[in-house]
Amino acid sequence: MTKRRLMWALIILLSIGMLAFGSLRDSGPLTQQDRIDVITKRIACPTCDGESVFVSRAPSAQSIRAEVARQVGDGVRTDDEIVAYIAERFGGEVLLLPRATGLDALVWILPAMVTVVLVAALWLAFRRWRQPVVVATSKRSLLVSFAIVCVVGLGGGVLVARQAGQRLPLQTATGGIEDSTASLLAQARLAGPTNVTAAIELYGRVLETDPDNVEAVTYRAWLIMLSARQFDESLRNQAFFSTITALGRAIELDPTYPDAMCFLGIVVYRDGGDAKSAKEFVDRCLERDPPAEVRGLVETLAGELNAELGE
Amino acid sequence: MKPTKVGVLGLAVVIAAFLVVLVLSDGDAGVGARSPLLGEPAPSVVTTSIDDVPFELGRRKGSWVVFNFFNSTCVPCIAEHPSLLRFAEDEANRSDGAEVYTIVNDDSDGAVRAFFAANSGDWPKLRDADGAIAVAFGVAKVPETWIIDPNGFVRLRILGSVVDGVLEEQMADLRASQGE
Repeated sequence: MTKRRLMWALIILLSIGMLAFGSLRDSGPLTQQDRIDVITKRIACPTCDGESVFVSRAPSAQSIRAEVARQVGDGVRTDDEIVAYIAERFGGEVLLLPRATGLDALVWILPAMVTVVLVAALWLAFRRWRQPVVVATSKRSLLVSFAIVCVVGLGGGVLVARQAGQRLPLQTATGGIEDSTASLLAQARLAGPTNVTAAIELYGRVLETDPDNVEAVTYRAWLIMLSARQFDESLRNQAFFSTITALGRAIELDPTYPDAMCFLGIVVYRDGGDAKSAKEFVDRCLERDPPAEVRGLVETLAGELNAELGE
Repeated sequence: MKPTKVGVLGLAVVIAAFLVVLVLSDGDAGVGARSPLLGEPAPSVVTTSIDDVPFELGRRKGSWVVFNFFNSTCVPCIAEHPSLLRFAEDEANRSDGAEVYTIVNDDSDGAVRAFFAANSGDWPKLRDADGAIAVAFGVAKVPETWIIDPNGFVRLRILGSVVDGVLEEQMADLRASQGE
């Protein structure tokens, strides 16, 4: 080929490449509605067959669409993260594009593997037709060829799965839920009765990111007071005043939160010895319908206070 | 070994592997259905009841919470109602009784109010205006019943109607596992 022809071929190739890139390039969604449409097209309606959330009119699809719209509106999560959120709740079957991991990956790997095996088998068959006499392959070489073909097929399949499969950023290998304030609070509650120090630390971590979290303010103060009871009087006094201040702040942040009011009543009586004030806090606590665990503590105290105050 | 034998053997291994996966995998029906939320902190639920009383799930920590996703026109929801009534009554008599809440799914306040007026059940009925709670729990069809422990962790998901005694049995198991 002459130099001139080579140049022309290069120019044509470059032009075709640039045209293809220009026409296939995804410019991305322009508006929030575009984003919602793009995301809902990736999610299958969980109660209908073969319809995406984008086209389905089923109530569950409408709920998912509303959730996607809400999250897009919040502007916190990316498209992939929103899809991951939905998939975590409804399972991988709502993903219209199967995942590149776990059993879903077989959807990508098996066709690639079968293609490679079939191509290899065809090549072998053609070779036998052309040279029927030469074909005296040993069993061992056949097995080795078969293994090589399988490995190549598997490798190709994994490559296809990685390139084309759904990759969801929030999901871990076990499908865990992200580590959030809610998760830290739940861990703290779980640690509370057996490992007070760990629970106090976990509530402290919540307060680092969310200083006005009423639950963390309340329970951290309560646990500090409980653990201080085993120490000398000066430490107990310090803990008492800091707990009263913290519980007062929690009530200020959310006057409807029963737990802070209940703990204030308990601490004011058990550690401060003030039955009259404690009674007032306990009554207010019970008016706020505390959860069973806290109600149990406060109802016992209410009986004691009534007896002491002669009511 | 002949190539055909190798092929047949390979195929047999693949089929056997699929069968093992099928046999070992759990179905989604019945008591204790799967969900990625099981053993995880419950999603945040902030809403109001149909009587306009504010509700926040985070504020119910310290109580067992039972969410029943419901629609007044759904036949299985109607069918399970007597079982739920009995369960709620038993729990109300316990000092650590579970709090039962109905999550209204794609239904009007009026229809729900009328259903409960006719069939009784005085627990709170919570609004789920655009299905945010249903999506957060991954509920696609009602009825579904979820149990959340006093620490705020999701412990059980029941797909479809609950039959007599199932919730009581599950609650007893869960309480035992929590050392109560």
